[in-house]
Amino acid sequence: MAGFRLINLAKPFLPILPEVEVPYEKIPFDDKMVYTVFASLIYLFAQFPLAGLRKATGEDAAAHAPTVADPLYFFRGVFAMEPKTCLEFGLLPIFAAGLFLQLLAGLKVIKVNFKLAADRQLFQSLTKILAIAQYFVLANIFIASGYYGADLSLPQIVVLNIQLVGGGVFACLLTEVIDKGFGLGSGAMIINTFAVATNLVSDTLGVNQITVDSEGNTEPQGALINLIQGLRAQHKTLVGGIVSAFDRDYLPNLTTCVLVLALGCLVCYIQNIRFELPIRSTRARGTNQMYPVQLVYTGSLSVLFSYVVLFYIHIAAFALIQLVAKNDPASIVCKVLGHYETVNNIIAAPTFPLSMLTPPRSLVGGALSQPLSFVVYSFFILASGVWFAYNWQQVSGMSARDLARDFKEQSITLLGRREQSLPRELNKVIPVAATTGAMVLAAVTIVGELLGLKGKGAGIVVGVAGGFSLLELITMEFQESGGESSLANMLAGGLSL
Amino acid sequence: MAGEKTENNQMEKAMDAPLEFVREGNQFLSKCKKPDLKEYMKIIRAVGIGFVAVGIIGYAIKLIHIPIRYVIV
Amino acid sequence: MSTAVPPGGQRTLQKRRQAKSNKDKQLNQTPTSARQAGAGGSSNSILKIYTDEANGLRVDPLVVLFLAVGFIFSVVALHVLTKVTGKIF
Repeated sequence: MAGFRLINLAKPFLPILPEVEVPYEKIPFDDKMVYTVFASLIYLFAQFPLAGLRKATGEDAAAHAPTVADPLYFFRGVFAMEPKTCLEFGLLPIFAAGLFLQLLAGLKVIKVNFKLAADRQLFQSLTKILAIAQYFVLANIFIASGYYGADLSLPQIVVLNIQLVGGGVFACLLTEVIDKGFGLGSGAMIINTFAVATNLVSDTLGVNQITVDSEGNTEPQGALINLIQGLRAQHKTLVGGIVSAFDRDYLPNLTTCVLVLALGCLVCYIQNIRFELPIRSTRARGTNQMYPVQLVYTGSLSVLFSYVVLFYIHIAAFALIQLVAKNDPASIVCKVLGHYETVNNIIAAPTFPLSMLTPPRSLVGGALSQPLSFVVYSFFILASGVWFAYNWQQVSGMSARDLARDFKEQSITLLGRREQSLPRELNKVIPVAATTGAMVLAAVTIVGELLGLKGKGAGIVVGVAGGFSLLELITMEFQESGGESSLANMLAGGLSL
Repeated sequence: MAGEKTENNQMEKAMDAPLEFVREGNQFLSKCKKPDLKEYMKIIRAVGIGFVAVGIIGYAIKLIHIPIRYVIV
Repeated sequence: MSTAVPPGGQRTLQKRRQAKSNKDKQLNQTPTSARQAGAGGSSNSILKIYTDEANGLRVDPLVVLFLAVGFIFSVVALHVLTKVTGKIF
């Protein structure tokens, strides 16, 4: 076992693992834009309802109706997961595999020599295999739990597997196309931002009608449209329509929309807080400048990490409760972990003690019925975010030492400091920025989630913060391309401020 | 007696660590440069336009789902 | 040496600097990430997983996009199939 390394596990899978080619030549900026937008749109298009499920109506509907509601409702908005579609698990496995493996490799738990191209490639393949494996395992946990309906036939299980894992594989490949340089920035993050923006628009301005009661009355998905339509709805009074626009809980309401927008604005503010280091060139005199270190040094990744860990705690609990204990409150597993209660026929809310790690569904209701979750959930998000940010800034290749090396290569140094003390001086700033930034971002997430946004709060934080990181990268790439882009000229008014 | 004291000290240290961390963070925050109102409004506008534009494109794709769903359900 | 040699006592400084960067290089023997090794990839705020071309089934990006659309339409076709046959397998 002397030579055993985890990355070698990827080797037997290589011949069947699809691998996107790297571009032969530099892709022009416009083409990158097109690839990015198309990949993201195809991802959104793939959020298509699963085939092979039993319909809600029909003679045997009651006997085979799904007995299990959605236990992941508060992750949906964070990882672009749509319930009962091919992308049931969204981008989560991709984020999970990427973050975990890179963190483990950085902390030297997994031995990878990143200097060797062969090692890097194996590591990358391992990440992809792990992501696809997660899609497979998660899909089968859900199938076995009865989420897609009780006693499915074998062909049904096979078809569901093909759709869920297939959706996962394509999600991986779409992110890969963007990552490899055909698109802009990071695939997983850009698709996630796209999905968050789409959710925001459809929750506010969505015009599609959804049947809300047994009489066949419909209400639009968008909260704002609902308010307008509520003013002249037949099945409600005028006041009732307005009140319902603000507090309906089966579809997005205006209160949540306003809160989400406020959170987004708050994240914009936080993203632009920076610590400025005065620098000077060691070559030329009199060229003093400021080097900005962002407060949110690890961007949205710290929140994503917290949510990935939270997801796996919940999935493990879900598997135990549903598969082992069959959600029977009398069972020993349920006594230890709690069980699920169906709310509104759609979501499965865990009971104490699992509820401690679940954001409350509303501020007041949560404060009365599960006050402990305010403490435990908040502490969890804060602690995991800060822990991640501290470690990530060290291993991601942008640590104080790496930055000091970059400074030296570009012959710049801190004003009024000796060049030798550069790493030490930077080390005073960067870890503090990373941990403080992660703490602030986690605090915003917590505030949003405790107000009862059911994942939309965390989603907008991830979306906006991720969007900022990507925007930075995109503007950089745009400048590198020399600004010769017809598409960008169109957008320049909006973006390059 | 002595053992109790060190235990107390350890407890105190464990309690102090997060406090210290928060204090340090606060200090750091106060030294940071924050965007002024004009800059901030510009950013909000740019991000808002970007988000809504991207969102509308995405929502348009989602709208394609509706007729398809109607046909197949 | 590409940079101009500064006059006088700067030489020792430069030597020291070189020794220092040698030491740094040794410290960096095993980089902790692809970016630290100078191969791109994730940075402080970006998670980038795929940067190298690994062994595997090579596919063109356009083919991926088309296959993905094909996949979705096969799901649609499956819906139609279950509706037409009126039963689920």
